Amino acid sequence: MPQHHFFYDLHYIMSTLLEKHIVELLQERDEKAISLLYEHYGDTLLGVANKVVRNEELAQDVLQESFVKIWKKSDSYDSSKAKLFTWLFRITRNTAIDKLRSVNTKSDKEIQIDVSDVYNLGVNSTRPEFMDVRENLEKIESKYQIVLDALFFQGMTQQEASDELDIPLGTIKSRLKIGLRELKKIYGPTLLLVLSLNLIP
Amino acid sequence: MKEKIQQFLDSDLLENYLLGTTADTETLQVERYIAMHPEVRETYDELQENLETFAKLHAIKAPDALKEKILTSIRKESMARKYFYRFAVAASFAILVSVGAGYFFWDQNQSLQQENAIVTNKIDDLEETMREQLEDVRNQFIVLHNPETKKYSVKGNKKAEELKAVAYVNPVKKLSYINVSKLPNLPEDQCYQMWAEVNGKMVNLGIIHEADSQEKLLALPYSDSAVGYITIEPKGGNQSPTVENIVANITY
Repeated sequence: MPQHHFFYDLHYIMSTLLEKHIVELLQERDEKAISLLYEHYGDTLLGVANKVVRNEELAQDVLQESFVKIWKKSDSYDSSKAKLFTWLFRITRNTAIDKLRSVNTKSDKEIQIDVSDVYNLGVNSTRPEFMDVRENLEKIESKYQIVLDALFFQGMTQQEASDELDIPLGTIKSRLKIGLRELKKIYGPTLLLVLSLNLIP
Repeated sequence: MKEKIQQFLDSDLLENYLLGTTADTETLQVERYIAMHPEVRETYDELQENLETFAKLHAIKAPDALKEKILTSIRKESMARKYFYRFAVAASFAILVSVGAGYFFWDQNQSLQQENAIVTNKIDDLEETMREQLEDVRNQFIVLHNPETKKYSVKGNKKAEELKAVAYVNPVKKLSYINVSKLPNLPEDQCYQMWAEVNGKMVNLGIIHEADSQEKLLALPYSDSAVGYITIEPKGGNQSPTVENIVANITY
């Protein structure tokens, strides 16, 4: 649909402008940068932290630490090397992994991360504001999700994913390809949704 | 080259780089590939897009209270940084000032020490000179007022008939002095020089200056049978007396 392309382009331009604006504010060490980052990336980054530590309370600690790091490192961001989100993602994911390690090395009694925390995801998905996102996630078959998960969140190599999930490497590769294609299909509607939300105020 | 790129894309390096888990050398390698090969750049950009989309699917509502907490801790961080910079600036300024002051005082101390050394030397010299002069005056006093002192009148020979001098010799104290009261004028390039032959050795006693010769008592080295001579010598004095120019001799 050509309309899709138009909205896609428009959204792309808007998000690029927003990104540029935030980066400028960051480099000027303007506090507003953090507010804008929190508004536009906070939910996603909290999700990222939660995917790693699998405990929402802990994930919030991670998010706070990550934002302080983002603030401190703001002059080290290089837009020629990574998109803003990629940079934010790296910091958040690494902070989450460090947190998980420190929690695990502490006496496990203090913070028990057990299977019940995993259900946090389930609780979240009943919140109305996440219905669209959850719906979208459900559009991707779980067998593809697992592979995407291994790649993007667990940082596994394809070989490691193959070993870990006990799936042949070839299957991993093809599922990854399909998973990414499915992901792209979601793009359009999600972006339109985001776009319409952006246009309301 | 195509194969090499494919090989690179098949390795998990780009994915690891995306997540920020590559080692430093790997990071440089990946960044080089991205910069040099458009197809790698394209794959990387696509991965970045996919990552963002996939991550968004897992979003959880971040509470507003957390935002406030974050902003508070960032303000604290900025404050600490600001104070640190202020402190650093103040500290470096203080260090600069104290280094400057330190150098100034060191320099001053150094020159004061030099001055001190010079003054001490001068005082030592003065003391020495005064001691010598006092000793001389004391001896003169002894010689002149001692009843044992013998007084000899000295007169010049044909070469200097006007020459008049008085020698004082005290054999008890073993001191002898001479007072040259009158010296005939000499051409510009000549001068009178005093000598003494003591135990067969000729001792140079120096040039007699007309100006001060009348008031001054010139010390002579004492010996039981010494002879004093006055000679005419070229200006500036001579190493040994010119015998034919002897104008007076004093036996004492």
